[in-house]
Amino acid sequence: MIGNPLTILTLFPLCASLLLMLVHWAAAEDRQADLSKWIRYINLGVALFMLALATLIGLESFSADLTGIGGWVGLGWHNYLYDNCDQGILRAGGCAVISSIGVSWHVGIDALSYPMVWLTTLLIPISMLVDWDQKRGAYFHSLILMMEGALIGVFVSLDLFMFYVFWELTLIPMFFLILLWGGEDRRYAAQKFFIYTFAASVFMLAGILMMYFHNPVPDWGVGNLTGNSFDLVLMNEQVADSSFISGGMQSLVFLLLLIGFATKMPSVPVHTWLPDAHVEAPTAGSMLLAGVMLKMGAYGFIRLSVTLFPESIIKYQWLLVLLGMVSLVYASWVCLGQTNLKRLVAYSSVSHMGVIFLGVATLQPLGIAGAIFMMFAHGIISPLLFAVAGAFKKHYHTLEIGSMRGLAHHSPWMSAHMMVGWMASLGLPLMAGFVAEVAILIAFWMTFGWLVLLPALTLIITAAYYLWSMQRTIFEGSGEVELPPTMGDDEPRDITWHENVGMMTLGIMAVIFGILPGIFFVMMSGWSSDLISTTFVDLMNSLGVEP
Amino acid sequence: MMPIAAMLLFPIICYKIGWDAIDSSIFIVAIPLVVWPAIAIIGQVWKKTDWWKDHLKEGGIIALAALAVSLCLTVWLIISFLKDHGSFGAQDSDLASFAWLNFDILAHDGVSWEILGTEKLGFTIGFGIYVDALTLMLLFVAAFLCFLIGWFAIGYMTTDAVNEDRNHRFFAEFLLFSCGMFGMVLADNFLWLFIFWEIMGLCSYLLIGFYWEKPSAAAAAKKAFMTTRVGDVFLMIGLFILYDLYHSLSFEVIFDPAITGTVDPERLRLALIMMFIGAIGKSAQFPLHVWLPDAMEGPTPVSALIHAATMVNAGLYLVARMFPFFGAAGFEGEFTDVALLIAWIGGITAIMAAAIAFVANDIKRVLAYSTMSQLAYIFAGLGAACWFANTGHPEYAALAFGAALFHLFNHAMAKGMLFMASGSVIHEMHHAHHHTDGGEDDGAGGSEGDDHFDAQDMRNMGGLAAKMPVTSVAMMLGSMSIIGIPLIGGFWSKEGIIGQAWHAAISQDGGAMLVPAVLLLATAGMTGFYMSRMWFMTFAGKPKSEVAKHVGEDTHWIKTPLVTLSIVTAFTGAIFAVLNFPEWLGEGEELMHGIESHGLAEQVVAVLEHTFLPHESTLMVVGWTAIVISAVLGPFLAARIHGGKLARGEQANAFVGWLVQISGSVGRTNVDEVAKSGFALALHNRLYIDDVYEWVIARTVLPLGRLLAWFDASGVDGVIKGIESGSQASSSWLRLMTTGSARDYILMATVGALCIFALMWGVA
Repeated sequence: MIGNPLTILTLFPLCASLLLMLVHWAAAEDRQADLSKWIRYINLGVALFMLALATLIGLESFSADLTGIGGWVGLGWHNYLYDNCDQGILRAGGCAVISSIGVSWHVGIDALSYPMVWLTTLLIPISMLVDWDQKRGAYFHSLILMMEGALIGVFVSLDLFMFYVFWELTLIPMFFLILLWGGEDRRYAAQKFFIYTFAASVFMLAGILMMYFHNPVPDWGVGNLTGNSFDLVLMNEQVADSSFISGGMQSLVFLLLLIGFATKMPSVPVHTWLPDAHVEAPTAGSMLLAGVMLKMGAYGFIRLSVTLFPESIIKYQWLLVLLGMVSLVYASWVCLGQTNLKRLVAYSSVSHMGVIFLGVATLQPLGIAGAIFMMFAHGIISPLLFAVAGAFKKHYHTLEIGSMRGLAHHSPWMSAHMMVGWMASLGLPLMAGFVAEVAILIAFWMTFGWLVLLPALTLIITAAYYLWSMQRTIFEGSGEVELPPTMGDDEPRDITWHENVGMMTLGIMAVIFGILPGIFFVMMSGWSSDLISTTFVDLMNSLGVEP
Repeated sequence: MMPIAAMLLFPIICYKIGWDAIDSSIFIVAIPLVVWPAIAIIGQVWKKTDWWKDHLKEGGIIALAALAVSLCLTVWLIISFLKDHGSFGAQDSDLASFAWLNFDILAHDGVSWEILGTEKLGFTIGFGIYVDALTLMLLFVAAFLCFLIGWFAIGYMTTDAVNEDRNHRFFAEFLLFSCGMFGMVLADNFLWLFIFWEIMGLCSYLLIGFYWEKPSAAAAAKKAFMTTRVGDVFLMIGLFILYDLYHSLSFEVIFDPAITGTVDPERLRLALIMMFIGAIGKSAQFPLHVWLPDAMEGPTPVSALIHAATMVNAGLYLVARMFPFFGAAGFEGEFTDVALLIAWIGGITAIMAAAIAFVANDIKRVLAYSTMSQLAYIFAGLGAACWFANTGHPEYAALAFGAALFHLFNHAMAKGMLFMASGSVIHEMHHAHHHTDGGEDDGAGGSEGDDHFDAQDMRNMGGLAAKMPVTSVAMMLGSMSIIGIPLIGGFWSKEGIIGQAWHAAISQDGGAMLVPAVLLLATAGMTGFYMSRMWFMTFAGKPKSEVAKHVGEDTHWIKTPLVTLSIVTAFTGAIFAVLNFPEWLGEGEELMHGIESHGLAEQVVAVLEHTFLPHESTLMVVGWTAIVISAVLGPFLAARIHGGKLARGEQANAFVGWLVQISGSVGRTNVDEVAKSGFALALHNRLYIDDVYEWVIARTVLPLGRLLAWFDASGVDGVIKGIESGSQASSSWLRLMTTGSARDYILMATVGALCIFALMWGVA
C-alpha cells in the first residue's frame, strides 16, 4: 500500500503538512520566525516533488504498452492505473480499511481523473509561490499543502466512503484560509462557504448511502457485516450488468447527488456562496478554490452520475441543459453589472462551469471530452485570473474597477498577465479555453441545433465584460495617473518576481494546451468514446431515444 | 544587412536539408510565431539600452528579418507552384501538419444510434497547409506588404518621441499579426482559418489601443474587438453547421467534387449566411462597419497593414473560399439569394462609405472610408461571381471571381501605399509643428495636439507637392489606382467588376443584381471625386496653415517603401492584366498562356480590346461611363472645389506638377451652401449609425446587467440570507424552552412521560 504512488500523492502532503504545523507550534517563540521561512521552503519542496511524481505517473502510462494512440489512452475507460495494494487485496482491488461496513482503500486514476490530479499538483506550488509573503506563512503554506492531499484524495478515491471523507476534508483548510487570512468580511464568507457546501454535501451523502445499500459484495472476505461495500468499481460492474439501481429510486439518487455536485460546481441557483468566498479569500485560496475545488463537483458528477446512472442522464437531459444554460447566460449578464474585480471573475467562473453541464448533456463523445477538457482548461486559466486580481488588491489596496486606471503605466507586467488571462478566459483561440468551447459547441449544435445560438451569443457578452474591465484598469489614465485613495502613501509598483513566475507559468500552460490540446484531449476523448459506446449507445437504442 | 542575409540563408538551408517549398512553408507561420515573444520580452527588459534602440531599432530590425524570411519563403513557394502547377492543390506535408483534436461522433442513422469513427478516435481536426492560386496571391500580398510596412514602421515609429520605450511592443504585436495572416491563408481547414482570424483580431485590438493612455484609443480598440466579435460568433456557428454537414472542416474533404454537393442545401445556405456575417464584421461592411473609422486611432503603419491591406481582406478571403459551394453540382439555383445578399451588402456599403468620405477632413478617415468602399466593390464582384456560378454560368463566374480578386490585389498594394504616404505627411506635419511653434504633443497621430493642432486634418495642409515630392507622387499613383484611371493599377480590375456586375444585371433573372450594379457605377464617380479631393486638399493649392509651410521629407525608411510601391502600383496592374492574372485566379489558367499562344504584342492588344471595346454593347456603355465619371468628372469637380496652383516660387516635380497646374486652371466653385446642409451634417456624423448602436447598448445591455447583478445579490442570495436569519430566529425561539427553572423542567419531564405511557398503551 505504501508503494502505490497514488497513496503517496494523497497521504504524504496531509501528513507532512500536519507535521510542519506541529513543529512550528511546538517551537520556541524566538525560533519561530526563522523556522517559518524554512517551513515555507519545505512546503514548496514537497509540492514540487508531488508535481514531479504526478508527471512521472503520466509518463509511465505513456510508455506502458497499452492499447491506443501512443499509450496515453492506456489511462482509459475503466483502465485504472495502480489499483492494487501489497497485501489483503480485495475482490475489486482495494485494501480493507473498515471491513465491517465495507470501506476499503481503493485508489486508481484513469483518463478522467489523471488530468485533475496533475492540475492539482501544478496549482499547489504555483499558488504557494504567488502568495509567498503571506504572514504566519508556516501555517498558511501548510494548510495549502493539506489541501493538496485532500484534493488528490477526492480524485483518486474509488471507494465512495473515502471519496466523501476527502470531499469534506477539503473544506477544512479552505475554511481556515478564508477565516484567518481573508478580507474584511471574512467571517461571514468563511461560515457561508462552509455551511452552504457542507449542507449540500449531506444530500450527496444520502445519495451515496442509498448507493451503498444497493451494492452487495458476498465475497468481501474477513469481517464484513453488512454485506455491502462502498466500492465504485463494483458499482460499475453492476451497471454493466444492468443490475444497479433503476427506476424511480435511481432518479431520487441522481437528484440527491445532483444537489451536492451542483452546489460545488457551482451552478445557478445554488451558486451564491462563491462570490462572497472568492472576494474574501486570500489569493492562494481563491486560486485553489476556483482552480480545483470547483472541479471536484464536475468530476464527481461525471464519475458518479454519468457513469452509474445513464438512464437518469438521458431522462434529465433537459434539466442539465437548463442548469447549464442558466448558469452560462445569467452569470455572464451578472458579470456585466459588477464593479468589484474579484466578484466579476467569480461570476465568470460560474458561467464557465455551466458550460460543463452543457457538454455532458450533448451525450456526444466530443461534448463530454470537451466538458472534461473545460474542467482542465478552466483550472489553468481561472487561477491566473485570481492571481492577477489578488495582485491588484495587494498592490493597489482596492478591487473597484475604474478606481485605478492606466495600470500599464506603473505595472506593465501585471497588465500583461491580466491581458493574457482575460483573453484566455474569453476564449481566444490558441489558448486552452477555446479548445473546450469549440468542442462543446460543435457537439451542442449536433445534438440541440439552433439552441447553440444562446451560448454562442453569450460569448459576445463575455468579451464585453472582460474588455470593459480591461479598459478601465489597464488602459486610459492619460496624463497624470490618479492613484486611488485607498493607496494612502504607498507608491504604485509592479508585481514581485514570485507573482510574475507563477502567473507566467499559468499563462504558458494555457498557451501550450491551446496549441497542443492533444496531450490530454486524446485520453479524455478515448474515455468519453468508450463511455458512450459501452454504456449509452445500447441504452439509447433500447429506450428509443430520438435525435 | 541582417535582414537581407537572413532572407537568403534560410530557404537555402531548407533546400539543402531536403525540404521542398511546401514543407518549408510552415516556417512562414512558425518563425514570426516564435520571434514575437522574444522581441516583447527582450524589449521589456532591455528597453533603455543603446544597442536595443539604435542598432536594433527597438526590435524593428529583428521583426523585419523575420518578415524577410517569410517573404523569401513565399516567393520560393510561388515559383514552385508556377513550375509544378499540376502537382499542387491540397497538400499532405508531414512537416507542416499536425492533429489538434481527435474524437468520435455519436450519430443516428435513422434506425439506431451508433458510434462513428473510432479505431481509437476516428475524426481529426488538425492543422495542415493548403496551397492554390488564391492562397498564393493573398500570401504574397500579405508577406510583401508586411515587409514593406514593417520597413516603413521602423522609420515612422522610432523617430517620434511619443513612442519611445514602447516600440518593442509595437513590433512584437506587428509580428504576431503577420503570423496570424500567414497562418490564415495557409491553413487547410476552416477551423484553423478561424483561429488565425481571431489572432489577427487580438492584434488589431492591441495595436489600435497602442496609445492606450488616450481614452479615445482604448475605446476604439474595444469597439473594434466587440464588433468583430459579433461577426465571429456567427462565423463560428456557421462552422459548426458545416462540420455537422460534412463531418470535416478540411478544404480537401469539403471541396472534393464528389462530396460537396451531397448535403442538405437548406442547412448549407444557413451556414453560408452565418459565415458571411462573420466576413462582414471583419471586412467592415454595413452594418458591422462602425469600427473601421475609429480604428484610425492606431499608429499609421497599423492602419496601413491591418486595416487596409491585410486583415480586412480576411473577410474577402473567407467569401472567396466559399465560392466553390456556389458552383457545386447539385446546388443549382439554391444559393442565388445568398449571392444577391453578398452583392447588395457590397453595393450599399460602397456608396455609403463613398458619401461619408465626401465630407471627411481627416486624411486617414478618408482613406478608411475609401477602404470600406473598395472592399465593398470586391464583395459585390464576389457576389456577382457566386450568382453566376449558382445560375449555371461558370465561365462568367470565373471572370467575375478573377476580377474581384485582382481588385483585392491592386487595392491592397495601393491602399497600403496610400496609408504609408499619409503617414509620411502626418509625420512631417508633426515635425514641422514642433519646429514652428515649439509645441508639445501629447499623443502622436491623434486629434488632440497641445494647442489642438491636428496634424491629420487636411484643412491644415495644402501645397505639399512642392515640399514632399516622393510622397506626392506616391499618393497620386495610389489615388489613380483606386479611382481607376485607365491603364493604372486598379483600373484593370475595377472595370472587370463593374462589367461583370452589369453583365449579371442584364442576364436572365438577374434583375435583382441591378441595384448593386447601379450603386457600383455611381460609386465609381464618387470615388473619383473624393480621392481627388483628398489629393488636392493636401498637395495642391497654397499652404493653409503656418505648419504646412515648413514641411520637409527625410528618412529613407519611409521613402523606400513608398518608391517601391509606387512602381508596383503603376505597372503591375497592366503587367498582370497582360499575364491573364484574373483568369489564373478564377479558372486556374496558366499565367503565360496568353503570351505563349498569341505572342506578346498580340496579347497586349487583345487585353486592351477586351477592356475598352467589349463585345456586349451594354457593357461597353457601362465601361465608358465608368471611365468618364471616375477619371474625368470626379477629379474635375474636385479640382474646381479644392484645387489650385502652388504658392508663388514653389515648384513640384514633373510627375505631379502637371496635375497641380491643371487643377489651378479649371476655375473655382463655391460649395459652402452644400457643405452646410443637413445631409452634409448627417454625413459628418457617419449617418448616425454609430449613435444608434451606442444608444441601444446603453439602454438595454448595460442596464440589464446591472439589474441581474442586483437580482443575484438580493434575490437569489436573499433566499439564502432568509434561510440564515430564519434558522437563527427559530433557534432563538426554541431556546426559550430552556428557562432555567427546575419547576418547568419537572413539568416537561412529567408531561413527556405521560405521553409515552399513553402511546405505549395505545399501541398495546
